[in-house]
Amino acid sequence: MERTEQAPVPAPTPPPRTTEPAAVRMSQRVLDQVHAFLVLLTERPVSLYAAAMLRIGYGLLYLVFLLREFPHRDEIWGPGSPWTPALARQMFDQSGWVSVLTLSDSRVYFEVCYAVALVTCALFLLGWRTRAMSVLFAVVVVSFHARAIFMADGGDNLMVLMAVYLVFTACGRRWSLDARRTRLQASAGKTAGRLGGGLRHQLDDARIILITVLHNCGMFVIAAQVCFLYGCAGLYKVQGVKWGDGTALHYILNIDLFRPWPELSQMIDGHHVLIAVVGYLTVLVQVAFPFVLFGRLKYPVLVLLLGMHVNIAVVMGLPIFSGAMIVADAVFLPDRFYRAVGRLWRRTVQRTGGTAAGASSGTAPAAVPSQPRPAS
Amino acid sequence: MNVKESQRTDAEPAAQDGGGGPRMTHDISGPPRLLTAGTGAAVALCLAVALAHVLLVFLHVAPPNAISKAYSRQIDAWVRPVFEQNWRLFAPNPQWVNRQISARTKRTAPDGTTRVSGWIDLTVRDNSAVKHNVFPSHTAQNMLRQAWNAYLKTHGGNDEPRSHRAVMIEKYLRNIAADRVAAQRGGTFDSIQLRVITQPIPAPRAAGGFRPAAAASTRAETRYLPWWKVSSHGTD
Repeated sequence: MERTEQAPVPAPTPPPRTTEPAAVRMSQRVLDQVHAFLVLLTERPVSLYAAAMLRIGYGLLYLVFLLREFPHRDEIWGPGSPWTPALARQMFDQSGWVSVLTLSDSRVYFEVCYAVALVTCALFLLGWRTRAMSVLFAVVVVSFHARAIFMADGGDNLMVLMAVYLVFTACGRRWSLDARRTRLQASAGKTAGRLGGGLRHQLDDARIILITVLHNCGMFVIAAQVCFLYGCAGLYKVQGVKWGDGTALHYILNIDLFRPWPELSQMIDGHHVLIAVVGYLTVLVQVAFPFVLFGRLKYPVLVLLLGMHVNIAVVMGLPIFSGAMIVADAVFLPDRFYRAVGRLWRRTVQRTGGTAAGASSGTAPAAVPSQPRPAS
Repeated sequence: MNVKESQRTDAEPAAQDGGGGPRMTHDISGPPRLLTAGTGAAVALCLAVALAHVLLVFLHVAPPNAISKAYSRQIDAWVRPVFEQNWRLFAPNPQWVNRQISARTKRTAPDGTTRVSGWIDLTVRDNSAVKHNVFPSHTAQNMLRQAWNAYLKTHGGNDEPRSHRAVMIEKYLRNIAADRVAAQRGGTFDSIQLRVITQPIPAPRAAGGFRPAAAASTRAETRYLPWWKVSSHGTD
């Protein structure tokens, strides 16, 4: 209101007595906003629960993926793959990818790498020494992806990106063994660090600021990445004739390799109107995604996307792909949602097993008093 | 910021006192100027890198345009390989063909006579591995399919490889086929041939307004690849 009234008064020759305070106020307001932004950027790590959910989600997905492909591991990543280590190395020279898996052609080395990868995924998902594990996890995901570059689909591609981005986030602050350790230390009255004054204290402050900034930038990049994903997927579909005339789903439902339940696919394929509606809705939701994130409308859109991906998982037999997309979508849920989920989880754990709950509360945010200090 | 500003003003006399050297005796006061400046620079760097990354990824995924053409080298240098991405999922149009890939093998006896095997359907194996499977393997859904897509991309309609990449893909496809034939049927062979039948998925049946005229385009196409020498197979 004030701004619109003051705006047409530029600052000509008459002494701008009345405009000066307004200009000052306006610049003050801009400064305040910049200030607020800087405080947020440097002091408040955003969406810590969402980051933890990403860690758990992708750690679990990759673990499940590696376990699922365990019988095929040599065929996909091993020295016996049709994409031989020699071919992979030639490709690395061209493409710039790197992989620890091609450092040796020995079968034993490969098996050790596989075991390390499984353990890494498990520890990353549990949040044990999370920062170090996140680096290791990124190395694992990149290595396995690069080694079998011609086996990957969109889900694998997304997991590589997320694994790299997660290195920069503080994804171990919630729902992790690290969080549990700090909680136990705090309840035991141990105030770690903060002892040496002066420069050490100041260095510590600077470190905390940098960690927070890195985390916030990482979360921003992740959010932007997911927006690009959907924006792209939607806008390229808009150009397609088959999406335009509403028959795209008919073709997708008839691709043999993505039709694990032919009867189900045929049944859906029989409903022309349904197929057209779902096809249009898919394009609409994907294109709209980046624009609805800042309002209430994001919740119905996220629910629609969840439904879409669950359907893709079942009807097309792509559970890992869908899982990767669902985890990415969940980044946009606020922390209060995750806290509510956490409370609900704790309550059900307490209700289902009174005494057993104590043992299983390792990764869940257990009530502090229920955990006695171990050996301190 | 308030805290920081007060720290900065505190730090100023300290830095002047110390002459900018490493001797910082003012323990209770704010951080030394150098540290504050360093932190500020690092924060600015983080922010700049994040924004630049988002911009470069955008240019990478967007359709080619004036900016991405002008800076394609810089964009590639940053984005490839790790941030490479392609979100044209079933777009602009979903795949509208099914491919049936088969292989047969040839064995040349010491006396010069050759024996050619019958066709072995490799795709039907993948399809049956996917059927009624809640969690199909990448080996069934992606391996042969993506290898053939890569072959099409590097070779087009011509079976003569024209690039180093094309030779590599050809070897990959040959290895997949040879491994599968060896696993499925065994026996010895010294060369292998692939046959790819491309079967268009028919348009939806004429229910309420769909043209039934698409029948002409539903004819299958068959492509025979040249015989490829296989060295490492057929010993078992």
